[in-house]
Amino acid sequence: MEISGMRKAGTALTVVGLAGLALVYWLSFFWVSTELSQGVAQRIFYVHVPAAWTAFLAFGISALCSAMYLWLRDERFDQAALSAAEGGMFFATIMLTTGPLWGRIAWGTYWTWEPRLTLTLLLWFIFLGYFMVRSSTENPEKGKRFAAVVAIVGALDIPFIHVSVLWFRSLHPQPVVIRPDSGPSLPGDMLTLLLTSLGVFTLLFAGLFVLRYALEGLRRELDVRARGAAA
Amino acid sequence: MSLYLRQVRAIVWKDLLLELRTRERIAAMAAFAVLAGVLFNYALDTARVAPQDVAAGLVWMTIVFGGLLGVGRTFYLEAQDGAMQGVLMSPAPKDAVYLGKTLANFALLFPVALLVLLVFTLFFGLDLGSSPSILVLALALGALGFVALATLFAAVSTGTHMGETLLPILVFPLLVPMVIYGVGATGRILIGRPVSEVAGNVRMLGAFALVALAAGAIFFRFVVED
Repeated sequence: MEISGMRKAGTALTVVGLAGLALVYWLSFFWVSTELSQGVAQRIFYVHVPAAWTAFLAFGISALCSAMYLWLRDERFDQAALSAAEGGMFFATIMLTTGPLWGRIAWGTYWTWEPRLTLTLLLWFIFLGYFMVRSSTENPEKGKRFAAVVAIVGALDIPFIHVSVLWFRSLHPQPVVIRPDSGPSLPGDMLTLLLTSLGVFTLLFAGLFVLRYALEGLRRELDVRARGAAA
Repeated sequence: MSLYLRQVRAIVWKDLLLELRTRERIAAMAAFAVLAGVLFNYALDTARVAPQDVAAGLVWMTIVFGGLLGVGRTFYLEAQDGAMQGVLMSPAPKDAVYLGKTLANFALLFPVALLVLLVFTLFFGLDLGSSPSILVLALALGALGFVALATLFAAVSTGTHMGETLLPILVFPLLVPMVIYGVGATGRILIGRPVSEVAGNVRMLGAFALVALAAGAIFFRFVVED
């Protein structure tokens, strides 16, 4: 797809995503029923869980595209990896701020060394390293390679981190939608809103991702032209 | 001995010989370990906190921080005089270079880890607990996993203008499993729990070291190519 086409598609997806986000907010404040034991605080769940899902999706895409970049050395994979990593940081930050806000009310503490919280925090820092490595080399190509190695080795470490932090006991609510032994335990309207929100967040991520990818394409084109003019 | 092993051995030998002649890195790490022990003595109120309970964490943190000090400089000399080009242009494959560098780092860090244990035992009057041999095994596997990751990322950080400052940011998040299992195993042995309780931890330390070594051997070539 041409860059201008990508920008249009990205803008359209983002606008739809933002409109969906407004809808999700409206539904979670005025439509969905209040959870019995946690009360109003539980409504943050409709932002927290989709943000978590999107962050993990984005980091996964970034690691995968990093591996493809090292393998095929196609600039487009690096562009995709970078765009996904930025999206991942964005949604992981949302998850890491909404989580403690809810935790203060439900658990009585902002922070606890709970496995999923810890894993997200560590992922956040792994990708902080990804951006720092990228921006601290003189040769951009080298920075891309280094960053790709950081993303892939980080992804390989995730199973270890996950198993080891689980070894500490868990306070986090157990899964309520995809459970190994039975169907969803979430009441109908809550499940509907959660799935809507999941869709909206994924759409918003897709929009931001395409926009960011197109921007990186423009930057590369500018770079090529500047070099052509200098030569 | 196969050609590959001879190449790895050549790199290990080169690094250890350099270290034997300068003694820079091992001296820095050893001095760091002892001085950290001295500082911890004043940082902890040993009248209120039993050293036996916190020693495991202190031992592992000293190994991690001291290790970064030495391992961070793995590629420093070679980057300074452009000698890295020479090493990379040698017929040895990149993974052999990585394994050689990692094993040489292990040969430096493992004695330091034992020194940390010894010094803390002396300073805090610790008892080596139920099984000193398992304690040493846990330290060895932890040190191996640590150098496997730190050597790979030392190559990355040496290639950036931030240098060694970047290394802890890259390595610390990845080291969490090693610290959890290492401290878990060491702490239980030190308070005299049976060996069977820490078998799982020690196995996880071994698995972590193996995966870290494999990942380093595979991805090192992408870091040093140019």
